[in-house]
Amino acid sequence: MPDFALTSEQESLRDMARKFARTEMAPHAAECDRAGRFPEEIYRKAYDLGLMNLNVPSDYGGSGLSLFDQCLIVEELAYGCGGMTTSIIANCLALEPILLAGTPEQRTRVLSPFCASYQLAAFCLTEPSGGSDAGNLRTRARRDGDHYVLTGEKCFITNAPHASLYTVFATGDPNLRHKGISAFMVPRSAEGLTPGKDEEKMGHRASSTSTVRFDGVRVPASDRLGAEGDGFSIAMRTLDQTRTPIGALATGIAQAALDHAARYSLKRETFGKPISEHQAIQIKLANMAQSVRAARLLTWFSAWTIDSGHKGTLESSIAKCFASDAALHVADEAIQTFGGYGYMKEYPVEKLLRDAKLTQIYEGANEIQRTVIARELLRDYA
Amino acid sequence: MEIVVCVKPIPEAETRLRVGADGTTFDAEGVKFVLAGYDESAVEQALLLKEAIPGSRVHVISAGPSPRTDEVLRASVALGCDLATCVDLSSANSAADPIAIARALASALATVPHDLVLCGKQAGDDEAGLVAPALGELLGVPDFGYVVDLRWDAARKLLKFQRWGESGLELWEAPTPCVIGLQQAWNDPRTAKLPAILKSRKAPIARAAPPAGPTSPSSRPERFELPPPRLGARLIEYKTPQEAAEKLVKLLREEAKVFP
Ligand SMILES: Cc1cc2nc3c(=O)[nH]c(=O)nc-3n(C[C@H](O)[C@H](O)[C@H](O)COP(=O)(O)OP(=O)(O)OC[C@H]3O[C@@H](n4cnc5c(N)ncnc54)[C@H](O)[C@@H]3O)c2cc1C
Repeated sequence: MPDFALTSEQESLRDMARKFARTEMAPHAAECDRAGRFPEEIYRKAYDLGLMNLNVPSDYGGSGLSLFDQCLIVEELAYGCGGMTTSIIANCLALEPILLAGTPEQRTRVLSPFCASYQLAAFCLTEPSGGSDAGNLRTRARRDGDHYVLTGEKCFITNAPHASLYTVFATGDPNLRHKGISAFMVPRSAEGLTPGKDEEKMGHRASSTSTVRFDGVRVPASDRLGAEGDGFSIAMRTLDQTRTPIGALATGIAQAALDHAARYSLKRETFGKPISEHQAIQIKLANMAQSVRAARLLTWFSAWTIDSGHKGTLESSIAKCFASDAALHVADEAIQTFGGYGYMKEYPVEKLLRDAKLTQIYEGANEIQRTVIARELLRDYA
Repeated sequence: MEIVVCVKPIPEAETRLRVGADGTTFDAEGVKFVLAGYDESAVEQALLLKEAIPGSRVHVISAGPSPRTDEVLRASVALGCDLATCVDLSSANSAADPIAIARALASALATVPHDLVLCGKQAGDDEAGLVAPALGELLGVPDFGYVVDLRWDAARKLLKFQRWGESGLELWEAPTPCVIGLQQAWNDPRTAKLPAILKSRKAPIARAAPPAGPTSPSSRPERFELPPPRLGARLIEYKTPQEAAEKLVKLLREEAKVFP
């Protein structure tokens, strides 16, 4: 029989993440959002507690969690602050290509020292010329003896200004499109690698996002991940793994919005009674609760599917797409429940809407997710 | 130093308790049990001493019905305790009172080496505050309550600590072995790290049999009742403090009739 009960081990992981999110992250969320501050001290604490390199096996110094357990933690963290969560889990995204395609020698050489202390990594796929059409990237990787020379620019790269390690996708020949792309590990110290200045963002303002320039950066061939030309497949397989936690992140934001709205509705009185007694507000709350639960269950189902050894492309696209749409809708309805107060920065719900919005865009925009869902779906009918 | 910490599983603070069918206990169905706040401070104190005194070990013991005991024992192991023992009172009288708990702990301590026994000075649920002093009596060693900031004077082989007494802060010294009941939340208890939590799930928990002999508690609650619903507050509108006081006195006199 299917079982939705968490084990006591899962409960204790979730409780620990919940405590961290509510006592360490949430109290600083509004201030970091207002100032666009990158709270390094919180990220260090997250690392110290083992909340950072969740997907890296413990042999290499990570936490070695199943995707399901990662999702439990990510939802809790996002309840505390979506932006901080984006920065905390960016390591999982950036290290996944090494887990998927790195040789044992590369993993030991790079992952073990990386995970042994607080360090950030950045996943460099998106370029100014286009994010969705990743096969069309322009950053060049020219072979030169036993090195590659990287030249080009990436944009919207999470944690780029603070990272010590970059996983970079670049092409040997743009005419080959996806078949020309290879993946590389590049340290911050590499000459010619320059992160840009922090972007001013609508939400996730505790996270840091910038361009990264590569001006003739020399990378030893031994730092290429997989074979030459495997890069696109490595990037897609990486996103197959990391899309589901984005569903969890969106669920956490949605749950926070529902909690704020429900509590407020019990206190705010109009026409002589709490607004929770007006049917229009009850219907809102009921719909919000349905969205949150459905988002969580689709996320859990996707994680379970992938943990069971399946690729889960359809399930993870559905989870990411549904949960992010749900988060936007629930945050919107939370603002509506708060009325004018919801529109004010003094109250916590308008931030949730701004934070929710990103989950529809990054790690594959929802339009692309729907394309994938339809493609996978129609295959069964053809 | 062999340090023992006695911990109690108590309902999580946000729990909405329901009175059980027998009217003298609460309904534990679906209730999540956690380490009592005072005990968190006691565990933290034990770990600080362990870190300060080379060759020390921390042994955590909980007496009560399993599996709730196991949850708090594992939580303590995840924080850094070395050994865990459960005195399983599942089959014993479930309404074990503080004295019965102290007896159960004392019987387990008969076979557990201990230079120092730490407890929370009371638990966050029944607030009885009896286990630590009763344990001191049963073990025949000195006991101290309301303690903060316990240190070991290695040269003189004495414990040094502070007590919040009626008259203020007292400074004390005591020999080992002894039982100490600690105050809550003065030492910023650490948070368990994720790998330690995973490891603690597989940690062995020793089982000690409950003491033989009469199990009937020396005291039992007569009846549990939920507090009556609050009637709501009334806000007094005022412009000056004087006006507020005048309105309040008028209400107390004329409506509440607490003054003639
Ligand atoms: C805060 C933030 C952090 C980010 N972090 C990272 C990171 O760490 N690493 C990284 O590599 N990238 C990162 N990104 C980039 C992100 O993944 C891209 O923004 C995203 O993939 C969309 O690409 P784009 O912005 O170029 O939009 P475009 O690809 O230009 O798309 C524009 C619009 O057209 C739609 N569209 C495009 N193609 C199609 C199609 N075929 N059919 C239907 N609709 C289509 C899109 O869905 C979108 O609505 C981040 C972005 C942001 C905003």
